Amino acid sequence: MKAVASGIDDIRAVATGERSAVEVLEASLQRIDLTDDRVNAFTGKNLDRSLREAREVDARRARGDVLGPLAGLPYAVKNLFDIEGEVTLAGSVVNRTHQPAREDAFLVAQLRAAGAVLVGSLNMDEYAYGFTTENTHYGPCHNPHDLSRIAGGSSGGSGAAVAAQQVPLALGSDTNGSIRVPASLCGIWGLKPTFGRLSRRGSYPFVHSLDHLGPLADSAELLALSYDALQGADPLDPGCQSTAVQPVTAGLRRGVDGLRIGLLGGYFLDNASPAAREVAQRAAAALGVTERVDWPDAALARAAAFITGASEGGTLHLDDLRMRAAEFEPLSVDRFIAGALQPGAWYVQAQRFRRVYRDKVNALLRDWDVLIAPATPVSAPAIGTEWLSINGEQLPCRPTVGLLTQPISFAGCPVVVAPMWPENTDGMPIGVQLIAAPWREDLCFRAAQALQDAGLAGTRTPSL
Amino acid sequence: MQAPEMLAYVKASAVVLGLALDDAQALRVAAHLARTAALADQLAAYPLGPEDEPAEIYRPSAFPLPAEEDPKP
Repeated sequence: MKAVASGIDDIRAVATGERSAVEVLEASLQRIDLTDDRVNAFTGKNLDRSLREAREVDARRARGDVLGPLAGLPYAVKNLFDIEGEVTLAGSVVNRTHQPAREDAFLVAQLRAAGAVLVGSLNMDEYAYGFTTENTHYGPCHNPHDLSRIAGGSSGGSGAAVAAQQVPLALGSDTNGSIRVPASLCGIWGLKPTFGRLSRRGSYPFVHSLDHLGPLADSAELLALSYDALQGADPLDPGCQSTAVQPVTAGLRRGVDGLRIGLLGGYFLDNASPAAREVAQRAAAALGVTERVDWPDAALARAAAFITGASEGGTLHLDDLRMRAAEFEPLSVDRFIAGALQPGAWYVQAQRFRRVYRDKVNALLRDWDVLIAPATPVSAPAIGTEWLSINGEQLPCRPTVGLLTQPISFAGCPVVVAPMWPENTDGMPIGVQLIAAPWREDLCFRAAQALQDAGLAGTRTPSL
Repeated sequence: MQAPEMLAYVKASAVVLGLALDDAQALRVAAHLARTAALADQLAAYPLGPEDEPAEIYRPSAFPLPAEEDPKP
């Protein structure tokens, strides 16, 4: 029996009748049963619902109805997405006392309408505050390419489930890098869309000023197809600024001729290991890049993003930190409290800087269509790693993994992470960020597809 | 800020916010906040003028709401 290896193949097989949606679902469930005791990506399964949704797809096909663009595709969601009838844990114990969700999150409903089949919910850092998914309550998520290493975070279960070929598609959230880091460390494709592009309604928040939601997938095509299905205006979400669907799938293979593509230097190479620099330079060479580009005020943006996130995140949980602090994740509870105690002056300065920064970034992107940078400074560290050495400097591991993603999301730019495989990392991947101006996801995808078609970027089967 | 001053700040502001911290936890929180203070110092040195407004500006919703509008011209 074929494991779930290619989501696009599964969609085609269901569309042509070569396989039923129930058969595709069963293959996914068997793969999960076979591997998840070692990977620990899943925190919940929705077997009754999965079977019902798969049967609905098969019934539609039998009737000759038009199938949705993702009909029969199994997927799973980070457990901060509302699933009707389930408690939204957001990686915590505290939330177990919450009422079950009354309806699906907006993006889950979008995927359901597209015919996708929800398999379950996925491990994450508690309340999305972390880059490692070393969740004390539910156990660490293991990297499918080396079980002794982290999967990244905070959407670690999403990255690991796709990399382990348990599901070809997962949803995650990205506040400071939480889609891009696991995509990079697990060797899969990930999209952090433009800030405000996709509705966040029905997801458990971390930092309202910075939260994004998006897909992780096993190919550039599936990433694009799922992104198109997720789009849609949502007047009920004050954070959703999108008014029109702007599909990217049709333009995927337009190529990169005529695009102005640069490689980010300075901060983005200074804070990268030789292997991370290597993948960025290989991607740049494949895309015909000749120039290095300086991103404005990257270190300051990272500082402002850190302060903004800590302040809003800590304040959001203040009531529970007063009453139930002992039930919090021990790896992050002190950081949540420190964030809640931050002086208002720090937060206001960060917010005022953000507007100036946005204008500087937009000015840069008038001259460039796509910019390239490593997604993480290193490949996946071992679970439990406290310190990283990057270019001779000792840095605390857990915040450092997001050094290269934070400045980009603070500007709200869309980013596709392309999975690449450097030399000298014991077979472990590092992704590259393909960055464009706000609302130009199409440009990120054209560069991503070009890297995939050139054979430079793509997923690999883990030896699980 | 020196470590004893940061620890004093943590203990005092925790009281203001109603957070109960024992001495060991107050020390850990102060260590985190000291690292953030270094970032805040970098940011504070960035030149901003009085005209530089925050990224997020309150925007009133449309009023009257569309459903309440008088249909007459």
